[in-house]
Amino acid sequence: MFLKQIDLTTALRPSYLPDEVLLFVEDNVGLYEGKYKLPNLQNGQVYLTSHRICYVDKQDPRKHSVALDLRDVERYEFYAGFIKSSPKVTLFPKPAKRASLQSRAAAATSTPLSNGSGSPRPRADSGFRSPAPASSPATSATWVCTICSFPNPVPSNFDPTTANVHTPLPPCLACGIKPALTHVLKATISNATNRPASNSASNVRAPTPLRPQSDDTGLVLDIPTGPSTAVVNPETGFQCPRCTFLNHPSLLSCEICGGPLISQEAPPQASQEGPRTDSPGPTLNYGSVTGLENPDSVKISFRGGHGGDKIFYERLKGSMTQRKWLLQEAPPVPKSNRMGDETSGSLSRSGSGTGRTRTAGIAGLEKMGLDRRKNNELVIGSSFEDLEALMASAKDIVALAESFARQVNGGADSATAEANALLAESASQLGLVTTKDIVGGGSGSGAESLYLSELARNLAEFLTDDARGVLKKAGGIVSLVDLWAMFNRARGGVELVSPNDFEKAARLWEKLKLPVRLRTFKSGVMVVQSRDRTDETTIKGLLVWLRDLHDIPPDREVSWDWQEFGRGVTAQDTAERFGWSIGVAEEELEMAEERGVLCREDGIEGLRFWENYIDTGEHRHRSRQGTEADKIIEALNASGLL
Amino acid sequence: MATPSATATVTATTTAAGKPAFEFPREYHFPPFFTRQVNSTTRHSQLEKWSSLILAYCAHHRLFRLSLSGSSSGATEELFHNRALGRRLGLADAREVLEFMRREGRAEWVSGGSGGSGSGDGGGDGGGDVVWVYWKTPEEWARELEGWVDATGQKNAVLTLYELTEGETTLGTEFHGLDPDLLQKALQVLVKRGKAQVFGQEDQRGVKFF
Repeated sequence: MFLKQIDLTTALRPSYLPDEVLLFVEDNVGLYEGKYKLPNLQNGQVYLTSHRICYVDKQDPRKHSVALDLRDVERYEFYAGFIKSSPKVTLFPKPAKRASLQSRAAAATSTPLSNGSGSPRPRADSGFRSPAPASSPATSATWVCTICSFPNPVPSNFDPTTANVHTPLPPCLACGIKPALTHVLKATISNATNRPASNSASNVRAPTPLRPQSDDTGLVLDIPTGPSTAVVNPETGFQCPRCTFLNHPSLLSCEICGGPLISQEAPPQASQEGPRTDSPGPTLNYGSVTGLENPDSVKISFRGGHGGDKIFYERLKGSMTQRKWLLQEAPPVPKSNRMGDETSGSLSRSGSGTGRTRTAGIAGLEKMGLDRRKNNELVIGSSFEDLEALMASAKDIVALAESFARQVNGGADSATAEANALLAESASQLGLVTTKDIVGGGSGSGAESLYLSELARNLAEFLTDDARGVLKKAGGIVSLVDLWAMFNRARGGVELVSPNDFEKAARLWEKLKLPVRLRTFKSGVMVVQSRDRTDETTIKGLLVWLRDLHDIPPDREVSWDWQEFGRGVTAQDTAERFGWSIGVAEEELEMAEERGVLCREDGIEGLRFWENYIDTGEHRHRSRQGTEADKIIEALNASGLL
Repeated sequence: MATPSATATVTATTTAAGKPAFEFPREYHFPPFFTRQVNSTTRHSQLEKWSSLILAYCAHHRLFRLSLSGSSSGATEELFHNRALGRRLGLADAREVLEFMRREGRAEWVSGGSGGSGSGDGGGDGGGDVVWVYWKTPEEWARELEGWVDATGQKNAVLTLYELTEGETTLGTEFHGLDPDLLQKALQVLVKRGKAQVFGQEDQRGVKFF
């Protein structure tokens, strides 16, 4: 299966694989399978990572989010968009093993040889595809007859990788002389290499009045079947790019030379009024997307209209070249024995038992350091010996580089060593950081909001990540300033988030329905807590605790009846009890007091909070009447009647 | 818990020898009760509870005025200072409670010179330290007097003020032992209604009921 259902994090972002790095995010995209829109996958965000392309739906992210592995991608193309058609990136899957020979032949001509694999693409024979095998594949590949110099189209079923002397070749359309195989082969290859990506699969099928650019199905226009969709366009002639003959606008190939007609007057990029979430294209009525066995191609349509498509394409190109996913299978670096047992034993910490001489004290530490340095040298040295070894040990080199970075970071302050270790760890876990240049679209306001919403999700993940437990360690509540510092430190000093953006992102949590929320205490202090922790649950927790104190005898003799009143608690007690910071505890207690649940006692021992036995409710009714009367009197005073 | 109230007030008038001790309400033993609450709802409740505590306490001990200053006086001492608990209602807080009671018509600052030892310069929230505590307001006292006059058929009779509060005929009535100044206030209410007439000088005052 090409498209896979994926898991999402709590913040509704794709959960990443180990070592996976987020490269780019763009919103307002839709997915196509072939030329058909995929149902329920028409408005969402696309995440390009080093390993995958993930689509997360806006309406129902849990249900309609899919991903495709880059390793399954054979080829990708870019289509710049055309008037009303959005820019698209087309991804062609690698062939499944049971692809039929017939489809192999049919799809062959458009497979560029430059990708080196030479393996044909599969073609799904699903019923929703255009029914006739004459699905008009288009190619600009032509061979020029050596006799009459008429440019003939390369037959659609001609596959340069499988062709041999026995492959039947059609004769020249003008003079009827059969061409030599090598001649046709050359023509195909030169065509495949010269062809620019954007108008590569220029073929025509959709019944649009304008000259269609591409449908990117990878199916090639069969020129002999010719203009199958004759839509009359009352415009002036259509100039053939090759022989300059002015053709009728509805023609798809030149009347004179047979070359495919490509619209010249069309702007390279469609001008759009703004982002749109739907497109006029046909929708595929298909049950489950992930059930698609080997679709011909998957298109990502960028409807945002602010140029994210190009960056996406560039980054995709980069990650396809880097093939980060290969690193996962990389073998560990071969341990060299050249430096003797002692050295290799010391790197692996578990190798303590073997005949290594134990040295105590500073000398021992120094020796350990020396050993480690030697081993590092060894690893680096052997890795750079030749390129192959470097490839083989890539994973270890990366790990080594990371540990160097950790040493640099953590060296200075021993008191915060633990924190630094945590942060260094989390920095690598935080590979999925949202940065401004990851998010598409340059400097529009749309890009800004996308950046903020991504940041908000990023933050929510950071907070709710069980492994890191940021919120849990802080007792479920952490002040925004603390979080900001922690988050920026976890980013390792690069791509820091400004306080302004941070606050804006935090304010988006509510809107994005993320599992954390921002809360402002009446003192103006802003804190972050998980969504399920409301004031009510806090109060409930406080009350349960205070009621428990009715049964627990106090540490020392108290003058009041503790069985009746319990005892007062300070902010300190509360902070200890709930694992909050003292500032947060104060705010929470005051919040409870504000709600009339607690009352205060300001004594020589400091401020204590008690269950509210003062306002037990029996006076409330009367007091309300009183205040109403007061209000009336006030109003009368104000109006000068009294 | 109650200390003998005879020593309690400026104008101790009770003969509370055999009375049962005053039973303080539950809040009196609750430490935060002695701290000014910041939550307005709780604060209101606190003021009301203090108010009713003071009224009940004064009614129990038949105190008609309360002195805040000179904490030597036992009444305020016991009322505002819970020794067992080690908590005390501050002077400012106590004043606020009394001011609250004044607004409710249950207290009045004793204006300077009219009686008592108060250094008070008059009503209002200012420096007055002595306060009338109206567990019965002058109107209520006037009604008591009127009711007694009616019941005993003393209309048109002339009585001295001393007779009214200390005389044997009023033994067992509520206003027996009433503070003279408060009695004056009550009688003024009746005078205004035309139900009585006060005459005489200083100590020799008399009243005639109509």
